[in-house]
Amino acid sequence: MLKNYFKIAIAVLKRRKFFTFISLFGISFTLTILIVLTAFLDHLISPQYPDTRRSRSLYINTALRSNSKTFYFSNGPLSYYFLNKYVSSLKTPEKVAISSIFSTTNTYVNNKKLEIDMKYTNAEFWDVQEFQFLEGRPYTAQEIANGDHVAVISEKTKQAYFGEASAVGKYIETDNVRYRVTGVVKSVPITILFSYGDLYLPYTLSKTERSNTGFDGSYTAIILARSAADLPKIQEEFQQTVARIPLKGMEFDKLDCYADSYLASFTRTLLGKDESSGVNKFILSISLFALFFMLLPTLNLININISRIMERSSEIGVRKAFGASSRTLVYQFIIENIILTLIGGILGIALSAIIIAILNSSQLLPQVYLAINFTVLAWALLACLLFGLFSGVYPAWRMSKLQVVTALKAQ
Amino acid sequence: MLKHLFKLIWNKKKQNFVLMLEILVSFLVIFAVFTMVVYYYKNYRKPMNFDYEPVWAIQFRIEQRPQSNDSLSLYFEALRNQLTSMPEIAAVSFTGHNIPFSMSTSQNNVNYEGMHISGVNDYTVQDGYAAALGLIMQEGRWFSRADAGANYRPVVLNNFLKEKLFGNANAVGKVLDKGSERPLKVIGVIHDIKEKGDYQAIEPSLYRRADTSSYRWMEVILVRVKPTANIAFEGRLYKALAAYMPNATVEIEHLTNKRVSKNSMTLVPMIIMMIVAGFLVINVALGLFGVLWYNINRRRGEIGLRRAVGATGQSISRQLVSEALVLSTMALLVGCFFAVQFPLLNVFDMPAGVYLTAIGLSVVFIYGLVMVCALYPGKQAAAIYPAVALHED
Repeated sequence: MLKNYFKIAIAVLKRRKFFTFISLFGISFTLTILIVLTAFLDHLISPQYPDTRRSRSLYINTALRSNSKTFYFSNGPLSYYFLNKYVSSLKTPEKVAISSIFSTTNTYVNNKKLEIDMKYTNAEFWDVQEFQFLEGRPYTAQEIANGDHVAVISEKTKQAYFGEASAVGKYIETDNVRYRVTGVVKSVPITILFSYGDLYLPYTLSKTERSNTGFDGSYTAIILARSAADLPKIQEEFQQTVARIPLKGMEFDKLDCYADSYLASFTRTLLGKDESSGVNKFILSISLFALFFMLLPTLNLININISRIMERSSEIGVRKAFGASSRTLVYQFIIENIILTLIGGILGIALSAIIIAILNSSQLLPQVYLAINFTVLAWALLACLLFGLFSGVYPAWRMSKLQVVTALKAQ
Repeated sequence: MLKHLFKLIWNKKKQNFVLMLEILVSFLVIFAVFTMVVYYYKNYRKPMNFDYEPVWAIQFRIEQRPQSNDSLSLYFEALRNQLTSMPEIAAVSFTGHNIPFSMSTSQNNVNYEGMHISGVNDYTVQDGYAAALGLIMQEGRWFSRADAGANYRPVVLNNFLKEKLFGNANAVGKVLDKGSERPLKVIGVIHDIKEKGDYQAIEPSLYRRADTSSYRWMEVILVRVKPTANIAFEGRLYKALAAYMPNATVEIEHLTNKRVSKNSMTLVPMIIMMIVAGFLVINVALGLFGVLWYNINRRRGEIGLRRAVGATGQSISRQLVSEALVLSTMALLVGCFFAVQFPLLNVFDMPAGVYLTAIGLSVVFIYGLVMVCALYPGKQAAAIYPAVALHED
């Protein structure tokens, strides 16, 4: 039966080539745009090198400090002092990585200006993040404690500063300070905010943090749990710790700070309010956007399908006259439509593969490599089926309403 | 004639319903795009009113500063003098983080005779700031040494804030925030500058003169360089700064680069939106074309009959195009009803003129699109020979 429908569908597609072209164009381009956007979102949200353990990590990137009387509030990253004192001391986590948000500095080599993004880290940073070392090793807790001038650089920085030769043991200079390179890591795209940097340095070398014992700073923390099941326990322990932090003598009387999953740590700053992390709001707005975006192509497809169906009214009339029920006809038409959308879907996947390949090779976003993976494909397939269903149901319903007599008379 | 056409469409409203819905949704999409384009274009047309090209921004994140106010001023005044004495440098001003084209803003409230204006950009700057950025005075004067130690706090407004507060009246000499600890006295008004990028709207701004305690938190120096300044000079300048402040992380940025990245933050989303909208429009246009073509072909018998009783080809094609236009008028009326809500309810706080222009442009655009899609099928219908068409039936 299905084979028959398939044959009919192909025959119908071949008959009105212009309509087929319009339908395929609409479906494939809609899907292409959706797939490329999904691939980008997937790149942002799902685990990426070197932040590969997101499923058992919690992130702290900001804290909201407010005063209920003066309405003063300030929202921003925290100091190393705060994170070390209140987060590293938690009992449940396996490890806590603390690192600064990168800050840019210049270095001048052979009358060429290099912009270097510096990131200060603790020693656990190298255990929590799974960096790929192309040369050498990370700096150790001992070197950090000694205040040694050591650094880990990215492959990109190595290329710009040292060229092809090995960099380990050599010195890199910026801000009039020389650092001995202990290792070279594979470069990280700037979209992986918690891990990105060109030059990683021990936090003890940070000129601004040494004497900072306030809460404001430029540091974030990643808490690595022993297992994903520990995450709620850690969150609870952290909330209890936050509640106990003394705020006397500060210009604020309320401190809101949460350890969140990766996505939630971003949605909280954008959409969160009080307790809610804003993840639901984020998913809702993304789905609404996708639905709204698909609305026009779907309407267009419905329009074309109606025209197509009316053209086939004599065929429908004959089938009805020979006893086919409305339901059979509706099924047939919906299946035909889904076949059409699937063909469009395959085209769409091919087109998006081409676009993603172009985006990756152009390096419009440095070091960002998008990919169509199974998640993306599954979403694309779902979108295809929804698309086919949405645009098939109304015309099929219209068709099933046709009276045999009118249908036969029309032509 | 028009009444007749409306009747024709109305009788087939069920058949045309999806088509009208499609036109309606496309109108709303186009309206959104045009609103953005018109808004940014209006902003783009306004002059920048300052000269960012030869300006460098030096950021220094410094750990330890001298403790007392006096030694703090001495320390940074000496740095300022060292910079000013360099032959390549024309003007210098220390300032807060909210320099032109940066991501940071700092906002405050301003009160004047019961009027309360919130969201005023607040800048703390030195006497060299106006020269460094090439600001243009509209009335009054910029800060000078004479303002040091005055018992009021001298401020300069931008024209936008001045008009909000005083309308057309003179602003110089007026006192803001009366009754507060330290009232602000307006000493000058500058022309509005677009310091948040070419496409940003002008916002109310207020400039305060930095006092000695400001050195506690200021971390940016704006430097206007002369044409002789090249990359070699930049390296020398960098060395000099790093040597003067051994505890600081120093970064030199050029405002021209900052402008490009700030602009692209506005342009990139708009370009993505326009690509998406453009694709939707092509999609809709193809669909419209197909459906109109099909509908007209289906009416061959009717058209043949009209031709037989004496209608010219031209009048047939005109009728078909007008039918399509009437159809879109119905959709546009509903669309305009929704679109007009934006200026009426003041959504997104944009000027009403932007919305109205956008509505006008979208209506013209949709009419144009429908006309283009209907022209070819209409022309084909006009070429139908009555004898052939009637024979088919």
